[in-house]
Amino acid sequence: METTTMVPATALTVEAENADPKSQGRLALSARRKKPFRWALWSTLTVIGLFAFLPIYWLAVTSVTPNDQVFAYPPSLVPTEVTFEHYVSVFANPAIFGYLKNSIIVSVVTAVLSVVVSMYMGYAFSKFRFRGRKSLMYFVLSSQMFPQALLLVTLYVVFAQFGLLNTYQALIISFTTFTLPLCVWMLKGFFDALPDDLIEAAKIDGAGPWRTFHSVILPLALPGLVAAGLFAFVRGWNDFMFALTLAGPEKQTLPPGLVNTFIFEASAAWPALMAASLLVSAPVCIAFIFLQRFLVGGITAGAVKG
Amino acid sequence: MTVNLNRRDLLRFGAVGFGSLALLGGTAGCATSPVGTATLDPNAAAADFAFASWGMSEDATKPVLLAAANSFAKSEGVAVTTPSYPFNDYLSQMMLQIRGGQFSGAAQLDVAWLSSLAALGKLVDLSSYAEGREYTPAALAAGKNEGKQLGLPWTIAAIGLVTNAELLDKAGASSDPKTIEEFEDNLRALKGIGVIPYAAATKAAGLKDILVWMQTFGSPIVEGGKSALAGDEAIEAVTWYKKLYDEGLISADIDRSAARSLFAQGNAAIYDDAPVGKAGVVSQSPDGGLSDKMMPIARPVLKSGDVPQEVLWGHLVAVVDGAGSQTAAKFAQWLTSDKAQTVDYFTQLGLPPTTAPALSETAGSNDPFLASFTEKITVDAAASPLWPYVSYAQMETAIAEQVQAVLIGQSSPADAMKKASAAVDALI
Repeated sequence: METTTMVPATALTVEAENADPKSQGRLALSARRKKPFRWALWSTLTVIGLFAFLPIYWLAVTSVTPNDQVFAYPPSLVPTEVTFEHYVSVFANPAIFGYLKNSIIVSVVTAVLSVVVSMYMGYAFSKFRFRGRKSLMYFVLSSQMFPQALLLVTLYVVFAQFGLLNTYQALIISFTTFTLPLCVWMLKGFFDALPDDLIEAAKIDGAGPWRTFHSVILPLALPGLVAAGLFAFVRGWNDFMFALTLAGPEKQTLPPGLVNTFIFEASAAWPALMAASLLVSAPVCIAFIFLQRFLVGGITAGAVKG
Repeated sequence: MTVNLNRRDLLRFGAVGFGSLALLGGTAGCATSPVGTATLDPNAAAADFAFASWGMSEDATKPVLLAAANSFAKSEGVAVTTPSYPFNDYLSQMMLQIRGGQFSGAAQLDVAWLSSLAALGKLVDLSSYAEGREYTPAALAAGKNEGKQLGLPWTIAAIGLVTNAELLDKAGASSDPKTIEEFEDNLRALKGIGVIPYAAATKAAGLKDILVWMQTFGSPIVEGGKSALAGDEAIEAVTWYKKLYDEGLISADIDRSAARSLFAQGNAAIYDDAPVGKAGVVSQSPDGGLSDKMMPIARPVLKSGDVPQEVLWGHLVAVVDGAGSQTAAKFAQWLTSDKAQTVDYFTQLGLPPTTAPALSETAGSNDPFLASFTEKITVDAAASPLWPYVSYAQMETAIAEQVQAVLIGQSSPADAMKKASAAVDALI
């Protein structure tokens, strides 16, 4: 029996190039040419990084700055005096944890509901052929064309008629409605990328459509489901206007709750607001760090079909 | 796999969907009662009611308001619920709540909002509740809309010029400039010491402040139901504002919040504010003595002998018709005119009362800032000529955008005011 040793292609290339002085010269030239490109790349990344992270850094700095120094001019990137009194004041305010609880309930249920509904819709659009499929798909997407603020008044009246104002249901139904179109399209793209052969193989093994979907397709679609769920979660977590209008004082979520607590008629408790924002964002940020690989994988899954 | 859903079905579903949407939209649009005023049943028994406010969500005012609501609830044997919304979203939320029939009871209002809410036709005429309570005529006028007393005045003051006496002194500027000419001299002197002389509004969000300067130059803003902004006086005021801007006597990107911050840091010597803003300014200042240095001045006039123009600021309590509104009206009357209650409110929050007995009781208070503010500014304060119009906020925005165009050199004062005038006329 003949045996072969696998050598990585890159190693072979490097070895060959090292042996040839002309190739070495080309490598040096290439490295010199790449240097400005690398500088440009790093400069661009630095600017983008600053753009993304400076506000968060500033938020953190403000949260430990004494009230009388928040607007000091010229502003200082490093606080000259540090205080944790704003964090203490946040912990001393039980209402904030009530808002946090409401946010978690609304966002989690929205995410779960969006994923459950959109996974079936996305699968149907992707793998089944029925009359009006494309029209229906675009019809679903067309609901995204309406400015959401425009729908607020209408939804308010509808929820009032059904006695749903000031309830979690009002927020969950609204947010799920808004997130469904994108989730459906996102998951459809994900299911499109899964080969039909898998379904055929399951069918040959005796699995019905239901079993095929739940036992074969869904486990493979996990990154897409997580991505769709995170998208829906973020939508529910960040909303201000609907939460302020539909939830009422008892079911208010964090965005309106924090504004209500720290922004006043003639002033604002900026450091305490920043401290509260940091504290309540921490659990979500940690969850995102663990789930971000699904988010990126899920969103891009349908993008390179072909 | 094929589902029996053909295009005709799809169109049918689509039509039903859009039809429902249109119906809901129509329902929302028709939810308003015809414009009018509700009346109360004087024989109605005491009932539970709601008291909406933004004060209930603010650290400084919440305990005071809660104590007041609880005290009234206890004395009447009723329950008072206290919904609250942030100040900046309060009007839109209340409009939606009232329009949707979700709110009845007493509601805190800014004086500028009365006409917007009155247009919904759900506010109760409180004339009988105002009788014999010794509200000052100016305060009562602030709560009137088309001759009806739709709001009881709770606290009334003005938005006036506040100065840093120490900086004025350092610059050798007059502490009491009477005319615009003297005021300009002051600003130039202040520029010499390296501060922003006057943190006047230059951002669109705060440029409504220029209206009072237009009035100072003699513009009525609105005359005979039509905009007077294209008149010489308004154009002259904008030209003057642009001159201050070009000379660096006022600065770019300033709104009320920025002005307060600059003033608190000692980087601005003069700004516009109501007394309610003082606490926030002092709290964010590194200068522990700033409170004593804050001195209000009357707005300078065009020529000696003119009456200073000041714009009213204040809070009203209105009553929205519905369950418990009769008790809510009684509460509004008690909250705004009971002597002990109003004096206590003033003592705890520094907000001036609106009845003669409470004013005389608090006149000798040891708050020189407020006493001086009342004497020099509030005394001449009047409602903005735009407030009677439901679209007053859009009018202010339209004017602000045009003034901003002048400040950045995109338009001449005459052209800008012509456009602003047309926009305001369209909204009237």
